[in-house]
Amino acid sequence: MGCEITTKERAGVINPMYDCQPAGAQFAGIGIKDSIPLVHGGQGCCMFVRLLFAQHFKENFDIASTSLHEDSAVFGGHKRIQDGVMVLAQRYPDLRVIPLITTCSTEVIGDDIEGNIAQCNAALKEAFPGRKIHIVPVHTPSFKGSQVGGYSECLLSVIKTIATHKGAPNGKLNLFPGWVNPGDVMLLKRYMREMDVDATVFMDTEDFDSPMMPDKSIHTHGRTTVEDIAGAANAIGSLALARYEGGTSAQYLQTEFEVPNTQLNSPYGIANTDAMLQAVSRITGKPIPESLVRERGIAIDALQDLAHMFFAGKRVALFGHPDLVIGLAQFCLEVELKPVLLLLGDDNSKYKKDPRILDLKAKADWDMEVVCNADLWELEKRVKNPDYQIDLILGHSKGRYVAIEHNIPMVRVGFPTFDRAGLYRKPTMGYQGAMDLGESIANTLFAHMEFNKDREWLLNTW
Amino acid sequence: MPMVLLECDKDIPERERHIYLKVDGEDTRDFLPISNAPTIPGTLSERGCSFCGAKLVIGGVLKDTIQMIHGPIGCAYDTWHTKRYPTDNGHFNLKYVWSTDMKESHIVFGGEKRLEKSMHEAFDEMPDIKRMIVYTTCPTALIGDDIRAVAKRVMGDRPDVDIFTCECPGFAGVSQSKGHHVLNIGWVNEKVGTVEPEITSKYTINFIGDYNIGGDTQLLQKYWDKLGIQVIAHFTGNANYDDLRGMHRAQLNVVNCARSAGYIANELKKRYGIPRLDIDSWGFNYMAEGIRKVCTFFGIEEKGEALIAEEYAKWKPQLDWYKERLKGTKMAIWTGGPRLWHWTKSVEDDLGVQVVAMSSKFGHQEDFEKVIARGQSGTYYIDDGNELEFFEIIGLVKPDVIFTGPRVGELVKKLHIPYINGHAYHNGPYMGFEGFVNLARDMYNAVHNPLLTLAATDIRGTTAATSLEAAE
Repeated sequence: MGCEITTKERAGVINPMYDCQPAGAQFAGIGIKDSIPLVHGGQGCCMFVRLLFAQHFKENFDIASTSLHEDSAVFGGHKRIQDGVMVLAQRYPDLRVIPLITTCSTEVIGDDIEGNIAQCNAALKEAFPGRKIHIVPVHTPSFKGSQVGGYSECLLSVIKTIATHKGAPNGKLNLFPGWVNPGDVMLLKRYMREMDVDATVFMDTEDFDSPMMPDKSIHTHGRTTVEDIAGAANAIGSLALARYEGGTSAQYLQTEFEVPNTQLNSPYGIANTDAMLQAVSRITGKPIPESLVRERGIAIDALQDLAHMFFAGKRVALFGHPDLVIGLAQFCLEVELKPVLLLLGDDNSKYKKDPRILDLKAKADWDMEVVCNADLWELEKRVKNPDYQIDLILGHSKGRYVAIEHNIPMVRVGFPTFDRAGLYRKPTMGYQGAMDLGESIANTLFAHMEFNKDREWLLNTW
Repeated sequence: MPMVLLECDKDIPERERHIYLKVDGEDTRDFLPISNAPTIPGTLSERGCSFCGAKLVIGGVLKDTIQMIHGPIGCAYDTWHTKRYPTDNGHFNLKYVWSTDMKESHIVFGGEKRLEKSMHEAFDEMPDIKRMIVYTTCPTALIGDDIRAVAKRVMGDRPDVDIFTCECPGFAGVSQSKGHHVLNIGWVNEKVGTVEPEITSKYTINFIGDYNIGGDTQLLQKYWDKLGIQVIAHFTGNANYDDLRGMHRAQLNVVNCARSAGYIANELKKRYGIPRLDIDSWGFNYMAEGIRKVCTFFGIEEKGEALIAEEYAKWKPQLDWYKERLKGTKMAIWTGGPRLWHWTKSVEDDLGVQVVAMSSKFGHQEDFEKVIARGQSGTYYIDDGNELEFFEIIGLVKPDVIFTGPRVGELVKKLHIPYINGHAYHNGPYMGFEGFVNLARDMYNAVHNPLLTLAATDIRGTTAATSLEAAE
């Protein structure tokens, strides 16, 4: 009994859980309003990531490439950066931010990104006097970390480039939710409204779920403005809701501009959400309103119907982004699900010392394994192993065949979830997210009982 | 002015040479769009990289082969779950992808050991699989890892495995197209002729340039079976690795996608004297013509006519039902290259559909020669079209439906234009007679989608909201 923290032993990867750093950087970059990331590398580094976002959100996002070809690989890609920036500036008159995202090839070639940006800035100043375009250097070689770190790196670089000085306090609260869905962003914004707190979400991706309008206008873009980012330095505080996705940005604002940072558990499940709301209340002095106490009660009421009847003792495997996996494992404990396998998909050495994992380890009175630097083959091997007896998988769509092949109920959560409809719209965070996720788990288990004729008669009277 | 400088391109006037508006009586010797040329940085082009042209398009289709991608994790992640090519063995090719997961230390000290270890692991983890393709990527090509030497060592250690290496980093060439070429030529150089296929028919072909998208290969296989023709190798739909090693024994190479696989057909002709026959597998007229050509080659014309008659009897009434309802529909095609010329005339002849604009990501000069010859006047022919150009072209030609990829599909949805997946299909297969009825059905369902009418309604307007019935 107890929790073991291991690392994948194989060198290679079979079925990766995360994409590479530039993919994460692109996701952070599109969260900004009037921003088009420019990916300095081969065209695939941008084209496939755009496709991935389109698969998940069922939306198109504008991301450009410097279209590195063979000659640039030999002679350097300087001209392609400068041409790329200028073409974007010319053809997109509203453009205000260009995250310039490096890749493995351009980091190996060693293109001088900062030097090129200085030249671009001079050229832009001459060509467009009175117009300011922030070119953000984002160093994300694909051979380091993963999309998780790439997201964090881009966010930090955006803050460093645009939030350059301390101004008058703006009374706002910075929220760094990490790589989450529009549904989570909408939930967090609603909670802040209900608490009468003026908050800025980095990044505000609410419009990543955008409408078909009668006037055919396109609303698919980030909502976080240059002013929002500049204002981050003047906030009353920062809440870092994801340790590995944005935590460094909140820390930077504290170190550089004395914006107090509060690192919290990601608000998955009831208790983590409680802690978030109490922190908001503490920082802003605003009370937690009756409406949220009520929403909390509704969520607990709903989950109470499920926990000890259907969830108790069910063995769960979780994979995906680290903050999500750890947060969902904590949520599992609240509803009597038993997290027996946590898979974290890159070589970040900090996971093993993560206080939340150490806390789970301390609590575990059952067999539990945390596999670091894991791939989905690690999941598949354990699913095949009768010792594990996985009852439920919580993870993203890249693991779909593990569930399909082995007839194990799986609830899609995280990124990407392209094989289920509309999940990006639904929150996973907060009381509502906990309730929705719990009910999705229940309904998935119910359908599984029915199609496998496994005590489906239980539900005759439920 | 047959070459067109769009308003959005006023700052990149070189784009004028890539966009052609066909006018009656002109000659493509004078007006052929520039193609297969470098992309202008920052234009939001649709192009991918040459690595994906090799791995995702051709190699990754094989149903019994480990695809070992020597590079950082993204190259593997991004070329996995992005294509629809099922197989008859449970889609092994769709379920897995392999990466050496290159990290910084391997970039500094070289990644060959990492590759070798990953290859052995992959074979150990999946002991039933004995075939592998190893791909280089941008960084492993830049640091000069010798993947051929590694493959040779692994084959030395494991006599029962066979490994092919494909050195095609993403930055090679200007688009996916370079990757097609590298894989084609590498394969014919190294693997063709290393296995002797079992010959079971008097009539043998290779079917080249078809990747079983949505089940295309499997549908056409029914025809070959009825005709008594043995397909030695499908290049590469639903194929085994070793099928492709026996390509030298076919009597005829039947080529569908000339862009991605014409190279290997040419080499097989040069080296083994196997004639090349190009056909179009999409559309009734074209498919019938293709079957006739193949059957004429083998002197089995009656069999061909019987098959065509049977298929026409079965599917033509359905096609005509759709034709009646699709006549005059304006279609745009924004795909890779060859489908422009495969489709423009077939949808016109078989369905009465007018193709009003076409954009090719990676077509070459010969693709534009073909499509302009087959396409209509008043139609735009675009090389490497980009997002702002698409908006402007849509305003000019007002298509009713666009055949393109899912991401662009999501974009044009906001403009109330339905899309059909022109790469992976909505509900394929689309090849053959039955397939073209599928295409017609999907197009009909797209342009008659009642939601489009509802989307156009502004409920704040003065006219009363239309009921669904009335909206139709």
